[in-house]
Amino acid sequence: MEARLNNVTAVERPKNAQPWTNMGPRVRISSILTIVIPAAVFALTLLFTGMDFMAGLFTVFLPLQLLMGGWAGFYSFGKRGITDGLLLVVTFFLSLFVFVLLASVLWSVIQSGFAALSPHFIYQNNVYVSGKTGLEIGGVGHAILGTIITVGISMLVTVPLGIATAVYLTETRDFGRGIVRTLLQAMSALPSVVSGLFIYSMLILSGWSGYSGLMGSLALIPLMLPTVARVAEESLRLVPKDLRNGALALGAPSYRAFFMVTLPAAQSGIVTAVLLGIARVIGETAPILLTMTLANGTNLNPLEGGMATLPGYIFNYILLGDPTSIARAWGAALVLLIFVGILFAAARIASSPKKAKKRSAK
Amino acid sequence: MSVPAQRKLLAKPSRTADKVFFAVAKAAGYSSFVIIGLILFFLSLRAWPSFERQSLWEFAFGVGWDNTVTPAVLNIGPMLWGSLLIAAIGVVIAVPMAISIAYFIEFLAPRKIAKITTVIVDLLAAIPSVVLGLWGLGVFTPIGAHWAQMLGETFGGFLPFLSNDTGTYLRSPFIAAIVVAVMIVPLISSVTREIFSQVDKEIIKGALALGGTRESVLRQVILPTSAGGILGGVLLALGRAMGETVAIFFVLNLVFDEYNWFNLLEPQGGAIASLILARFGEATAEEVEALLAAGVVLFVITLIINAIASYIVQKAQPWRRD
Repeated sequence: MEARLNNVTAVERPKNAQPWTNMGPRVRISSILTIVIPAAVFALTLLFTGMDFMAGLFTVFLPLQLLMGGWAGFYSFGKRGITDGLLLVVTFFLSLFVFVLLASVLWSVIQSGFAALSPHFIYQNNVYVSGKTGLEIGGVGHAILGTIITVGISMLVTVPLGIATAVYLTETRDFGRGIVRTLLQAMSALPSVVSGLFIYSMLILSGWSGYSGLMGSLALIPLMLPTVARVAEESLRLVPKDLRNGALALGAPSYRAFFMVTLPAAQSGIVTAVLLGIARVIGETAPILLTMTLANGTNLNPLEGGMATLPGYIFNYILLGDPTSIARAWGAALVLLIFVGILFAAARIASSPKKAKKRSAK
Repeated sequence: MSVPAQRKLLAKPSRTADKVFFAVAKAAGYSSFVIIGLILFFLSLRAWPSFERQSLWEFAFGVGWDNTVTPAVLNIGPMLWGSLLIAAIGVVIAVPMAISIAYFIEFLAPRKIAKITTVIVDLLAAIPSVVLGLWGLGVFTPIGAHWAQMLGETFGGFLPFLSNDTGTYLRSPFIAAIVVAVMIVPLISSVTREIFSQVDKEIIKGALALGGTRESVLRQVILPTSAGGILGGVLLALGRAMGETVAIFFVLNLVFDEYNWFNLLEPQGGAIASLILARFGEATAEEVEALLAAGVVLFVITLIINAIASYIVQKAQPWRRD
């Protein structure tokens, strides 16, 4: 067997395979010129006239680049290439604009956040801190714990509910599925402040409970449910129907077919659903502000007393407005973003094998 | 030998455990009805006194928010208009960027770059709104005010909606709209990307083989087949933008006494969600009722927009139905 394989030599791929990827010198030269000339003119204009960057970008760079793009298209592909060149220029310009915005957000959080970050910023609480207290004391330890507790409680409710909703959408043939799906989609854009008002008007205004961590976690449920349910539904749907039908044909009742066949097969998708759901609500501020009071000390009891969370902490310290409190807010924002980033990366890792299966199935 | 009694074939679950299983699933499915219903019921219940004091019409379109006079004047007209205005401008700014990104990812970029770009856009979607608010306040407001000043001084003379006589360009609807646009770009682009990815590749190849160019394929094949879905995504984003609270709260100056119909660069605007957040802390009992009423108005408007949007998106994604 092996000897036979040794005789096989790979046929070399011909040089002229995929002719469309082979860019001629005309295309190459004209595209390079399209990038270089407007950039150079733009830079010189900025240097010599002292023009504002944004103004220059829109009055010098973009028109020139459009002109050059049109020319490059004409030069390499003839008349039909003109609009193509314009399209490419516009697409790249606008896409880059989004990247610049994102980079600006991330960079400012990282830069200003690291200035406030220190080991004690992670684990200390804020008992002896006022707006003007220096950064050498106090931190977000209590807010991290509070965030974990509130989000954890709403997770305990939302994850089973969301998965059961996904089961309803995929396993039953009920007439209401279309409406439920539409409602879930509509709920996913529920204004977060309304969710806070809802818990406030239902439980706090009625006198059933005071402001507490539990109320905050309840207010997060309507925001988290649609994400969990929709992602879980997607992943359950990706499990081949034949697997479940096979289990049913072997005599398994529906619930065992689900728990022993469908659910394990969709495991990574379910994990992704949970992680994305947490990432969705971990930064929600408005519902928390309306249902919880912000504490400076550590409080692990969700049933009574104030409790700090990271978003609430950020909001509060922005409002205080002193330079040190703004610095604290940036630090807390960095911590929050790190949490979101970890959740996000975990979700990607959890969902990646699933994606591969989906691709090959197609 | 006796023939066993004929077994009844049922599609319904026969075992108790199965019945419980499906009942639980059904209950969970209906829970979203219950949640939406509860939200509407309790908000309206508590807001009812406010609707009784004055008509809904006056509440939604009248001006002024003052609890120091008796009877208190509590109307949300300018806030409602401001919410719509900011959301609309935000969408106008965001749509071209979002569609370009989606087009770039689906049709232009090599697979590796497309993957990285997707991650970046998703990351942008995951940034909490309070962080964006902090960025808007600390980093973007000075820059945005500078842009606004240039726009105002250049075009303000002959374009009335860009004129500004107040002398300050901070905390304007223009800045709030850009912050909102940053929030909704990933939302629109992820919906658009999904729609784009389902456009039949054979048709595109066919169009190219018949002598089409990138641009003509986009204009005559891709956009017509995906227009519905994109519209749905845009509406979803509009709903999200109207409900956005914290990010706008930091970068917008709320003015309750008069409508700012179209002066985008002047430092006065409104947003219902921000009003709720701004006034909630030290609100009187009467004011809380009015804030809850404002919440009802906001909720109903976003619910309608979102329901229409998700209906359109679902229509445009027939592969989602099983």
